[in-house]
Amino acid sequence: MSVAAQSERGVAHVRSERWVPALATLLALALVAAAVEVVLDGAAGLSPLIPKSPQIAGWLQGAGERLGYRVFLIALLVSSCAYVGLIVLAGRSRLAGADAGAERRYAGGVISKRWAIALVAALQLIVFAGPILISTDVFSYIAYARMAVEHGLNPYTHGPIAIHHDPIYRYVGRDWDRVATAYGPLYTLLSYPLAPLGVVGALWGMKLEALLASAGTLALTWRCARARGLDPVLAILVVGANPLYVLYALGGAHNDLIMMLAMMAAVSLMVIGTPSRRREAGAAMWVVAGALTKATVAVLLPFMILSKRSLAPILGAAAAVALGALIGYAAFGIHGIDVVAALNRDAAFVSSDSFATEIAHLLGKPGVFPVDHDLLKAALVLIVVHLLWRTWRGYDWVAASGWALLAISVTSTWLLAWYILWPLPLAVVTRDRRLLIATLCVQGLFIIHQTSPLLAPVQ
Amino acid sequence: MSATAASAPRRRDTGTVRAIETTLLVIVGVILAVATVNDVGRQVQGNHRLIADLRTWRHYTGHDYRNISIDSETLGLDSQREILCGNTSPGAPGVRTQICLAIWGPTVNGVRTVHAGWYLPPHVEDVRAQRYGCFGSGLQGMCAR
Repeated sequence: MSVAAQSERGVAHVRSERWVPALATLLALALVAAAVEVVLDGAAGLSPLIPKSPQIAGWLQGAGERLGYRVFLIALLVSSCAYVGLIVLAGRSRLAGADAGAERRYAGGVISKRWAIALVAALQLIVFAGPILISTDVFSYIAYARMAVEHGLNPYTHGPIAIHHDPIYRYVGRDWDRVATAYGPLYTLLSYPLAPLGVVGALWGMKLEALLASAGTLALTWRCARARGLDPVLAILVVGANPLYVLYALGGAHNDLIMMLAMMAAVSLMVIGTPSRRREAGAAMWVVAGALTKATVAVLLPFMILSKRSLAPILGAAAAVALGALIGYAAFGIHGIDVVAALNRDAAFVSSDSFATEIAHLLGKPGVFPVDHDLLKAALVLIVVHLLWRTWRGYDWVAASGWALLAISVTSTWLLAWYILWPLPLAVVTRDRRLLIATLCVQGLFIIHQTSPLLAPVQ
Repeated sequence: MSATAASAPRRRDTGTVRAIETTLLVIVGVILAVATVNDVGRQVQGNHRLIADLRTWRHYTGHDYRNISIDSETLGLDSQREILCGNTSPGAPGVRTQICLAIWGPTVNGVRTVHAGWYLPPHVEDVRAQRYGCFGSGLQGMCAR
């Protein structure tokens, strides 16, 4: 093809792309408007979607109406559609950028770096300013901290009902008030400084922790994507503008964000900069630190070790496990380090949103039976073994870890929105786009499953 | 054999594995999608039944109250038989004497059949020991008084 023909095609391409910034802005506005609507209506209180909570967003009251299922689900669907549109545009921008110099294109092109960061920051701050959304988990986190710090009780042997006279108790979800903490000792110790701040102070502390963890996760995702020659703008939009990430994970101040920060710290040590034994050991230590927050992330470790085939990550992990066990034992006794018991207990729970329950219903069963738990565990083991074999044969360990996390959430009988976010930061820093598509499809199905109150509202 | 020649079969193997994986992923994806859509349909059907139950309670008691509790578990989770409890006079949920209705059967003209019922004192949970003034049939042993 001649230079002139190439140039003409380029001009035509640029002309045909003129609508893209306008559409991107429209989609971004839809995302922001949906988040604002949920936060303002949520601040009005008395909503089945807003857990009973101390008044922390009173200054937003009066601007919205009571948040009902209909408004929330419409906002969720609008933001999901806008999100998908934005990703498609960012993906197009990336493809176009591949022709004209990727770095230049996504640094100042159709969806610029600044534009993407501003959008993601706006979404995070809007939700940060509002009430706790959807879940009571954050009140359990505070209750466990207050049990230990204010009442001298071991949160690994008692449920929050042991402090029923404490002001936090009335906000803890009824299903959890007799359940001891399932989180790692590192996370429990991290939450200690918030306990003396009172319920409102601790709640803001938890929200701030979640916001900072989210910012850290996004920054590391950006750096990892760039280090691997992938588009960081697309990566940050996929994770930071994700409606489940924004409304559910950040909105509920879930500690999954802290786990994901540790996970991305580990990945960044492995993929950014010159590889070294020290970095490999450090990465393994970060994975263990993440697992001492929430155990699930430990699944990264075998893939990391297998891909490197060196002693450094094994030694790093062993040192971190030993240190964590020592601290956990000193602080909480044997129960503080009995991760297997906590995992076994949680694995027995069943939620109506889990795919296991949906398939049971499809097969005409009323729900998940004990034998189904065993079948699901067997399926998960098979998947992980296959992924380990693939990693041994040279498959990207980051992608394999992402698949393993996705498999854990899909085979879990206890599925919550923030669980299907675990593989997302990994999916955007790997070249195997199947992982990203699969993760987004699973999230899409989860969202579709929420929509029945919209189709037949019970009043 | 050169390195390039040796890596060619390995690339072919990886390509085959990838194709098998993708096929399995698509199959799993279709199963999950069908299960999800089926479950949404099931929930919508359940919601329609609950809408009929609420209408039945309001029609039977003559009270157009909003706060009515629905229990789908006591009479069997998948039995499509529900117990609905609400106040007998205006007030916050559960602070007045409550009337509970056991409802099942097909929806006719937007309502279902009330087969039995009982009363509950204020501020108590719906447990056998608290039920009194039982009426109707088909729920032997559900009432203490």
